[in-house]
Amino acid sequence: MHMKPFMFRWATFTCILFVLNACASYYQTHVDFNSEFEQGDLSRALETLSRFDKEAESKTRFIYFSTSGLLLSVLGKYEESNEYFEKAFLFGEDYRINYVNEAASYLTNPNVTLYRGEDHEHLMVLYFKAINFLKMGKPEDALVECRRLNIRLNQLGDKYISAEKLQRSAFIHTLMGIIYQSVKDYNNAFIAYRNALEVYENDYARMFGLTAPMQLKKDLLESAWRTGFQDEFENFRNKFEMPDYVVGETTADLLFFWHNGLAPVKGEWGINFFIAPGPDNHMIFTNPELGLSFPFKVDDEKERSDLSRLEIFRVAFPKYIERPMYFQSGSLENGSATYTLELAEDVNKVAFYSLNQRMLQEFAKGLLRAALKKTTEQALRKKDDRLGALLGLVNAITEKADTRNWQTLPHSIYYSRLPLTEGKNDVKLSLLSQSGRDSTTYNFTYQVKPGQTLFHTFSSLETIAAPYRYY
Amino acid sequence: MRKMISMARILTALLLLFCFSCQRSVTRISPETQTDLSGRWNDSDSRIVAEKMISELLGSPKFKAYAEEQGKKPAIVVGLVRNKTSEHIDANNYIKKLEVAIYNSDIAELVESEEFRDKLRLERTQQQDFADPATVSQWGKEIGANLMLFGEMTSETDTNNNKRTVNYITTLFLTDIETNKRIWYGQQEIKKFVKN
Repeated sequence: MHMKPFMFRWATFTCILFVLNACASYYQTHVDFNSEFEQGDLSRALETLSRFDKEAESKTRFIYFSTSGLLLSVLGKYEESNEYFEKAFLFGEDYRINYVNEAASYLTNPNVTLYRGEDHEHLMVLYFKAINFLKMGKPEDALVECRRLNIRLNQLGDKYISAEKLQRSAFIHTLMGIIYQSVKDYNNAFIAYRNALEVYENDYARMFGLTAPMQLKKDLLESAWRTGFQDEFENFRNKFEMPDYVVGETTADLLFFWHNGLAPVKGEWGINFFIAPGPDNHMIFTNPELGLSFPFKVDDEKERSDLSRLEIFRVAFPKYIERPMYFQSGSLENGSATYTLELAEDVNKVAFYSLNQRMLQEFAKGLLRAALKKTTEQALRKKDDRLGALLGLVNAITEKADTRNWQTLPHSIYYSRLPLTEGKNDVKLSLLSQSGRDSTTYNFTYQVKPGQTLFHTFSSLETIAAPYRYY
Repeated sequence: MRKMISMARILTALLLLFCFSCQRSVTRISPETQTDLSGRWNDSDSRIVAEKMISELLGSPKFKAYAEEQGKKPAIVVGLVRNKTSEHIDANNYIKKLEVAIYNSDIAELVESEEFRDKLRLERTQQQDFADPATVSQWGKEIGANLMLFGEMTSETDTNNNKRTVNYITTLFLTDIETNKRIWYGQQEIKKFVKN
């Protein structure tokens, strides 16, 4: 079979046109929205996002739902926001692997598959949804999200066997405790806080160097006290070295969550692998610089021969690119009292850690993809050199890492609990930049009824650099 | 990862096969069916606890003696069931079964717990203003409970690598509200061995 020269040139031209778009990362394909969001022009970002409404049916529908939900939440449109978050949640519930697309991804790239979402992204959907309900004064609906979170956490714990995988979320346990406490279910709050403490002290300390917030310790003590767990109250008070701590009575509470910065975006990096014959019908794929070596058994002599001729090829892998936070710390003032906003979740580190933990799996998938593409190309070259060359071009163009992720999540989440009094309460939020030279303040006023627990989230979208042109 | 190149030829056919074999299916099964998926507390455990507690309470000589001493069916109110396990377990899943058994067996009266009492009192308050006087519910006619049902759930967990044992201990007891004397105890242990 031979291709006509005109058709060959046309096909090559089409491929080159395609490559200009195909090389762009997910971030770059949404650069207008991203730059508007990062600059805080949220209304325009919403308009831009509405132009992407076809993505509701696309392979990136989870990101579209989550991004829409988060943006609407920041804009205070909680009902609409939760409609999108519900779609994102249901997507996670109903997700099933499409094996045809999976197979196609090994002949093109992983972007042809449905983006299923990272584990932490699915937890964050329910975090935002629960907080939206709480802000709307619907604690019973928030409790439903709380139960869903519990199921998700159980599923996450069952998903991985290795203790080095991120199986538990201290922040989500803390959130569950906060929700239970807000409806005065102190027993369940105690269980959630105790679980959170355990995860902070073990997993989070080891993986992220993150320790349990003081607010968590206080809430754990309060929930133990109010449940009537005297022994546990005393034990934890001793453990925390807080012998003088007593549970006080407050008229009302404010839970203030500060979403600082923006989560990392995914980019792409490539590794060159060398192929050399090894013992016992093995072909060895190596990258000496990174010390990577993957032996593959290839029984078919012809296939070994085909692979040997390749010698070297490039494989694309995903990587996270951090968007460092502009602000280093924040605090709240209520009258003469000051409350530090404590770091409860480092989304950035969670994302990096999760990807690093499955990098070997990514390597294996990438190599399998590259090897399949190359052997197909070699086989075609033998029948028709031009067609083989064209396929080689297509393969090179389509070699691309999966750079999709939920990119409007915060970099880190801080929180604090403030006691409020009945009536009008003025609270000042102070944020300090990384350089320590820039301090920004915001003032909030709350009208409070006795027994209320108010919820407030504040998003600082500033990052040290927003190099959206370069991702 | 091994034999990957040889897999290339069968990959598409195999995956197409998976495609047809992995359709979602939903089947209704009897609630009595014991299903253990994760190893955590589930509906089967709640049912086992409820059945054990019901049989122990209905067959309790001390409870019968108490009822005879009272000369009437004692009234029971459900109090607090404390959960000290590491799992969020809704005690209502077995407490409600116990309540139904008590109600149907006619060995005791049930009066509403605090949560529902407040709602009833609110309704009664509003009736005083808005309902036909001939149909208004009267104050001071609530039945005072003789006994309160308390409970506690604890668990002990032992893990090693991918193995885990959990022993759930559920204890319920009925206490005389007037004298603080415990009238009845029921306890159920459920031990699970989970291997991942």
